[in-house]
Amino acid sequence: MNINATLISQALIFAVFVYICYKYIWPPILSTMEERENKMAAGLEAAKQADDSLEEAKLTYEKELKEAKEEAANIVEKANKRSSQILNDAKVKAEAEAEKIIESGSKKLENEANKTREELKQQLSSIVVETASKIIDEEIDEKKHENIIKKAAKEI
Amino acid sequence: MAKELTSKSYIDHHLTNLTCGKTESVGWTCDHNYYDEMGFMAFHVDSITISILLGIAFVALFKLIKLNPADQKPTRMQNFVEMCVEFVNENIKSIFGSTDNKLIGPLALTVLIWVFFMNLMDLIPVDFLPELTKQVSYASGIVDDPNDAYFKFVPTTDPNITLGMALGVFILTIFYSIKIKGLGGFIAELTLHPFGKFAIPFNFALEIMQLLAKPLSLGLRLFGNLYAGEMIFILIALLMFFQSAVFGVLGLGLHLLWALFHILVVSLQAFIFMVLTILYLSMAHETGDH
Repeated sequence: MNINATLISQALIFAVFVYICYKYIWPPILSTMEERENKMAAGLEAAKQADDSLEEAKLTYEKELKEAKEEAANIVEKANKRSSQILNDAKVKAEAEAEKIIESGSKKLENEANKTREELKQQLSSIVVETASKIIDEEIDEKKHENIIKKAAKEI
Repeated sequence: MAKELTSKSYIDHHLTNLTCGKTESVGWTCDHNYYDEMGFMAFHVDSITISILLGIAFVALFKLIKLNPADQKPTRMQNFVEMCVEFVNENIKSIFGSTDNKLIGPLALTVLIWVFFMNLMDLIPVDFLPELTKQVSYASGIVDDPNDAYFKFVPTTDPNITLGMALGVFILTIFYSIKIKGLGGFIAELTLHPFGKFAIPFNFALEIMQLLAKPLSLGLRLFGNLYAGEMIFILIALLMFFQSAVFGVLGLGLHLLWALFHILVVSLQAFIFMVLTILYLSMAHETGDH
């Protein structure tokens, strides 16, 4: 267990292994670690950004959804109004038309009635004249008593 | 001429390194009988071999794993390796603050893993590898007596190994001290504190002791802890000399308990060695506020 040349050799061997570690072992491991650290930091940053933009997108989406809903409600309301208006208009028009038809119908009816009455008057007068002539038999000349006949007709 | 196995020879065998060195009488030899003749020119072949193998294991573990690029899921081993690197970096950050020193990271990682691996050898059953070496070298005719084949397989129970690493750290400390503060600044730090320029010899004696105490304590702390742990394993193993089943089972239980506790020591000492390495280097970087 004396101190001898082993000490010197061990110091040299030590130096050799430290050099090997310094040259070949340490750098690749450390660079891999650092690279991964950077990558992870970048990844986390990206994830945070993605989160933020997701939040933003959500807000936009909600806003747009709300707007769309409002618009849709507006449209429906408008359509409802419009349809009721159209319905109303149609109703009014139809009523007016119906009134018109009824009016013209009753006018026509009156005309017809008047006409018929006139015709009936004339026919009646001629029937009366005929009957009277038959009764009186040639005693009355139609031409002669035209005035009387007319008068009579008017009285009917 | 097999020696009788006594508890003393058992312990001695476990605490002796396989040593090769240069001797006056027979030149280069690995025979332990010439151990005393070798003096300083001796190498603990077992410590060196195991520490190199474990260093290679460290390099292989960290180099051969598949590193997936950053945009893919990391592999399991990659996770482990990155965890180690992260751990080392955290420690450096907490001690150094921020630094642009590119060496401190790899240095601390090497220290942590390598020392941990070397300490971990302590958890291999205490007779396993020495006995294997005995049988193999006896069978292959390298030694005449199996008890002459030594193999100490926990490098960090060898003060040469721990102090060798501490020496490396010490040299780096001095190097960075001079690099950051300049030679003048470094000398000033050694001589002008704590009592100003009128007590330079006294200051120097004090500061140089402080300077030298750092690597010494760094190396000896690791060595002491692991040596003590190893010693306890050996002492528990001595229970086999009673040659009784009861003591055998007792020894087994004690070994298990101590091994479980030793897991803590093993990792803690590796961690402490790393932290102190970082600390000493950060002290070398400090300027001014002394």
